[in-house]
Amino acid sequence: MKTGSLDVARLVIARDLRLAFRKPSQLLQPLMFFMIVATLFPLTLTPEMSRLRDAAPGVLWVGALLSSLLALEFLFREDAQDGTLEQFALSGQSLTWMLFAKTCVHWLLTGLPLALSAPVAAVGLGVPAEAMWSVVASVALGGFALSLIGAISAGLTLGARRGGVLLSLLTLPLAVPILVFGADATHRAITGGDIGPPMQLLGAIAVLGVTLAPLAASAAVRIGLE
Amino acid sequence: MSEFLSMSGYGKYLWPAFGLGFGIVVVIYVSALSSLSRARQDAKRRLEMQS
Amino acid sequence: MSWAWFHRFASPPWVYGFAARWTPWFGGAALLAMLWALYAGLVLAPPDYQQKDAFRIVYIHAPSATLSMAVYTTMAIAAAVGLIWRMKVAHAVAAACAPIGAWFTVATLGTGMLWGKPMWGAYWVWDPRLTSELVLLFLYFGYMGLRAGIEDPVKADKASALLAIVGIVNIPIIHYSVTWWNSLHQAPTRLLGKADMVWPMVWPLLLMFLAFFLFFGTVLLIRLRAELLRRERNASWIREVLA
Repeated sequence: MKTGSLDVARLVIARDLRLAFRKPSQLLQPLMFFMIVATLFPLTLTPEMSRLRDAAPGVLWVGALLSSLLALEFLFREDAQDGTLEQFALSGQSLTWMLFAKTCVHWLLTGLPLALSAPVAAVGLGVPAEAMWSVVASVALGGFALSLIGAISAGLTLGARRGGVLLSLLTLPLAVPILVFGADATHRAITGGDIGPPMQLLGAIAVLGVTLAPLAASAAVRIGLE
Repeated sequence: MSEFLSMSGYGKYLWPAFGLGFGIVVVIYVSALSSLSRARQDAKRRLEMQS
Repeated sequence: MSWAWFHRFASPPWVYGFAARWTPWFGGAALLAMLWALYAGLVLAPPDYQQKDAFRIVYIHAPSATLSMAVYTTMAIAAAVGLIWRMKVAHAVAAACAPIGAWFTVATLGTGMLWGKPMWGAYWVWDPRLTSELVLLFLYFGYMGLRAGIEDPVKADKASALLAIVGIVNIPIIHYSVTWWNSLHQAPTRLLGKADMVWPMVWPLLLMFLAFFLFFGTVLLIRLRAELLRRERNASWIREVLA
């Protein structure tokens, strides 16, 4: 009996969520890291809210990026180590689709919580209350695109020594457009401008990512599993 | 000659730029040659160890 | 037309010999062209109306920039050929390209900074073209880092090939950034036809482009030989070549 695609996705997502919630502390780590990073900037730059507000988009996005990179390591590593990825690749189901499901879970567990907790960091950076929803929206959408891009570099560095550092090094160049437009959207949200254009560009990148990134990621994983 | 060196006042940017650029060209060439010579030496050593 | 000539390029010993034979020709031509273009650009070309003699930096900056992108494109195409047709030689070409391209990118950024200071008043601005050229440097480092980080040479070839192909999106971004965005960097200058520059300024630049491409060919052939020697550990043709 051939399992349908939706069933496969449901199974992969359910499995990943179950495994993740067995170690809730691991889930909180990227969030804690984000908060710490967001605190470091006011401590080292200036406590003046008006100047922090200018830096807020950058601080939020750099923090979100670094936290996502931390969490990306877990995306494939454990499954690669215990042989699950190999089983996925051999299962006869679409590895691309399964990796896409895993990437969605990664965003649900990392990118989305980061976006939802961004207001807490943003308050400390002088961001006005009216801007909060737009901040959340931009970090959420950008975070999704980041997870997609990160899946490619996570796949590529599976077999590499010091994979963690390499993972960040590889993700960064590919993440630059997301950072640029995401920070622009957040900046416009804070200054009360129109977040439409950068959000649309972020959306376009996300759509492009959805169509191409899982493909590249599955090719990378297959290379790593050989 | 001093007119040539000053390059209408931009000499202090122009000459370092050319120096850097063509200096890197030289570096590219020399590092390629050294990479080849190292590869040859390693290959020779490997062959000697085998025979 | 037989495919035999194409198949020769899959044979490491044949490619090694080809590279050894052609290196001096490419090198000699590159040197001549470079010296001639240098003289033409620094002495023969008239000063610019606005930038006066500062515009002459174009003769080192523009070819470096073009090569930084052309080398990456070559690397990505070789990587794709290596992946699709499983040609070891193609992977060797890609590996040989990386350090060359990285250096050209450094040269582009450095000469650009030295041109930016007198022209814009700043050594660096975070405008799209400069930023994406910097990203190109990161991509080269990422490529070389990935190769170095994977033990298995076959896996290293394939993984870095995939990275090179994914990163190709950056090249059109660099190139079109000046038309897509309001950039401080100069928009593309038409060199031929309805040119934006007068011919006495243009031909030294075209000659320098040619010189740089010939130089890339020379250095690629040298590094390719080194790569082939490193990869073909136990092959007998190496014995003959080294003798």
